[in-house]
Amino acid sequence: MGLALEKTMTPEGTSEPDELQPIHPVPASLWRRSVFSTDHKVIAKQFLWAGLLFLLFGGALAMLMRWQWAYPGERVPAWLGGGLFGGSGGVITPSTYTTLFTNHGLIMIFWAITPMLIGAFGNFCIPLMIGARDMAFPTLNMLSFWTFALSGVLVIASFFVPLGPAAAGWTTYPPLATNVGTPGWGQTVMVLAIFVSGVATTMGAINYVTTVIRLRAPGMTWSRMPLTVWGLWLTSVLNVLFVPILAAAGLLLLFDRLFGTQFFIAGAAARAGGGDPVLFQHLFWIFGHPEVYILILPVWGVVGDLVSFFARKPAAWYRGTVGAMVAVTTLSAVVYGHHMYVAGISPLLGLGFEALTLIISVPAIVLFLNWLHTIWRGSIRLEVPMLFALGTVFVFGLGGLTGLFLGTVLTDVYLHDTMWVVGHFHLTMAASVFLGSFAAIYFWFPKMFGRTMHGGLGRAHFWTSVTLITLVFCGQLVAGYAGQQRRLYDPFQYTFIARLRGLNLWTSYAAFALGAAQILFVVNWFRSLAAGRRAEANPWQVGTLEWSLPSPPAPHNFDTIPTVVRGPHELSSPDVLARFGRDWVGQAEAWPSAPAALAVGSQVERAEET
Amino acid sequence: MPRTLRLVPFLTVLALGRAHAAPRPETGFGLPRDVSLDGWRIDWLIDVTLIAVTVLFVIMVVWMLIACLRHGRRHAAHYDPGDSRRAIGAKALVAGAIFLGVDGNLFVNSTRDLKEVFWNFERVEADPRAVRVEVNAHQWAWDFRYPGPDGRFNTADDIVTLNELRVPIDTPVLLQLGATDVIHSFYVPNLRVKTDCVPGSLSRVWFQAKETGEFEIGCAQHCGTHHYKMRGLLRVVAQSEWEAWHREASAIASRAFDPSDERAQWGWPWRKP
Repeated sequence: MGLALEKTMTPEGTSEPDELQPIHPVPASLWRRSVFSTDHKVIAKQFLWAGLLFLLFGGALAMLMRWQWAYPGERVPAWLGGGLFGGSGGVITPSTYTTLFTNHGLIMIFWAITPMLIGAFGNFCIPLMIGARDMAFPTLNMLSFWTFALSGVLVIASFFVPLGPAAAGWTTYPPLATNVGTPGWGQTVMVLAIFVSGVATTMGAINYVTTVIRLRAPGMTWSRMPLTVWGLWLTSVLNVLFVPILAAAGLLLLFDRLFGTQFFIAGAAARAGGGDPVLFQHLFWIFGHPEVYILILPVWGVVGDLVSFFARKPAAWYRGTVGAMVAVTTLSAVVYGHHMYVAGISPLLGLGFEALTLIISVPAIVLFLNWLHTIWRGSIRLEVPMLFALGTVFVFGLGGLTGLFLGTVLTDVYLHDTMWVVGHFHLTMAASVFLGSFAAIYFWFPKMFGRTMHGGLGRAHFWTSVTLITLVFCGQLVAGYAGQQRRLYDPFQYTFIARLRGLNLWTSYAAFALGAAQILFVVNWFRSLAAGRRAEANPWQVGTLEWSLPSPPAPHNFDTIPTVVRGPHELSSPDVLARFGRDWVGQAEAWPSAPAALAVGSQVERAEET
Repeated sequence: MPRTLRLVPFLTVLALGRAHAAPRPETGFGLPRDVSLDGWRIDWLIDVTLIAVTVLFVIMVVWMLIACLRHGRRHAAHYDPGDSRRAIGAKALVAGAIFLGVDGNLFVNSTRDLKEVFWNFERVEADPRAVRVEVNAHQWAWDFRYPGPDGRFNTADDIVTLNELRVPIDTPVLLQLGATDVIHSFYVPNLRVKTDCVPGSLSRVWFQAKETGEFEIGCAQHCGTHHYKMRGLLRVVAQSEWEAWHREASAIASRAFDPSDERAQWGWPWRKP
């Protein structure tokens, strides 16, 4: 189908696309160039910085939680205890503890992962990889970041209001999340912050969806898009559809908190019949389940591309991978009920959701088989991005397989709300996304900043991170299997959990070490930004469009919008080897002086068939 | 006999008494001891699936290791878009086999056991021996209500206990659960029982204990600052002991009944399924 398009385009790629996306002059003022910039690459960097800072913040909260599980009720050591918890003699109190896990979850999901994966790499990769000069709506893009920044300010503000920050858990289930359970401004400001960040995400998602549909370079058919773009696009579709539902639920919750409505209040605090707390759970998880795929789809895309690039082989069964990602995207909308198996939903609903949830196994298995097939008989280069990609496959394997027990009603009854759930979703959403994001950072850093990251530090960062993150979350799985509930200030109050004191202690040690190991990244990051080796245009020797540009690219990306003639993973093809003398070829690279008998058109056809 | 030695029998009795009054601690990292009639169904399904997914995971890791070790930089890449009919067929076969074997096993067993046992409330409601208890969860404690000899709830002879659920062994126990303030979740790890308690609606659960002793009741849903302290005790006793307790406690309850104390009348007429 790409062929028809190509025939209408001249290889010089004149007129149409270039006229539709004219090159704008670079703004003269620094203010418009670096702060309120509409350049997708600058906005990507802004999101990346913001996401990394919030990752650090959310991670610090996790460290405090792990301290509490290792040494319940003991003074947090050194200046930290006195500085943070001076009012309680350096001890984390039960109410402080509830704010720790609540804010850890919310900050990591909405202010660390979302900006890093979707904000930063969505922005950076989409236009460059599809051959566009910018997003479809550059001003909306800028607004998206600054709306996100406002939500971030609200989150930080929520720590400095009377009665402390939000404390109702990241799921903010009412009635606990209403004034019945969590009075005070912290929870209100946090719900408002989620709403505002939802507005930012929706703005970004509309932009990404439109950009991919409208601004693909000539010849960049759907079946020639890099998997990264597929992942980001599907994520954006889900964001457009489901983030507004979260925003609606948040708004109703705000009404309950501020204006005395009773959408979600029942029980003793209800007047005139009250509302329905379970309604919130439906709204929340209609968003919440797609959300986990929103976070993982870009990672799947990145992993799909990276295993191919670094195994020097085409991504195995590209169409199967894309189909599997589309299938998961579709199914993600109809499985949310598995979060509510013990919330008293009807048996028919329970079994229906169970069946739909288990069906997700099929596309998930296809993804794994394709990744494993891609690396098989390749010529694997274990560069830092590849290590992180393979690490992602490893932890996502653990996370996916442990999800089976939670998708099934019978086994979920026992494991629901235990540390098993915590271990499972951290392996899928935290470990995979963490390693996947770092794969993306190490891979695109040269293109983003024009400098190279240090390989040795990167490798050290990978091996410490992958080992420790596996230990931490597998420790949680074991604790959950043994029955330990999540969100317990002092789990050892329970006699049946007392035996897990050592396990929790060692899991905490692994978590502290994991936190400490991130210094390797921080050092590498700043060192590379300041003094990293200048990056060449295509350090990884791959063919996607962004690598045909200098590092970093010009503000308008492409002097001439390229005409794409082949898929993104044309690696080690014998044809290419014979013609170019190298194992890769650019997506828009024309065949060199072909033998006279062969016209360009037939070459394109041949490339398509292989 | 030295004075201190004479204390030994006394201390032993004291220690035994204390051990009897507290749940026996669990050991190791496994599932808590199962003391319910049907918990083995859940345990079996968890463990058999655990074995299956462990095998799958190990195969995946070994595959990745071999690929990385044997097909490294020095190995020439084999150009293969991986979409031959044979490759796709093999993948479909593997995906189908895993889906039918692992997911299918989960679905079939889960559906059957839920239908026949865990969600089969009709059978338990029809059982004349069944003990009915109403549970009201609130921050941060459990209230339990038993009907007296009249068999009806919210009457003068109701027995109400705080944080202690006393049930007879080898008898089906039916619970209806509600909550006053926020959502809680009734969780007895040793019975493999868990269900949410939602304000404004009633949920239900049933179990049958096969061992006497004390076991812990926990709250599994974050319910506020002292969620971690919302701990109750399940006391499984012999049938005769339970009947004696029920008779006596009901008589005391009738004598102490105060009709003007409306807040104590939180029970509800037993909801028919």
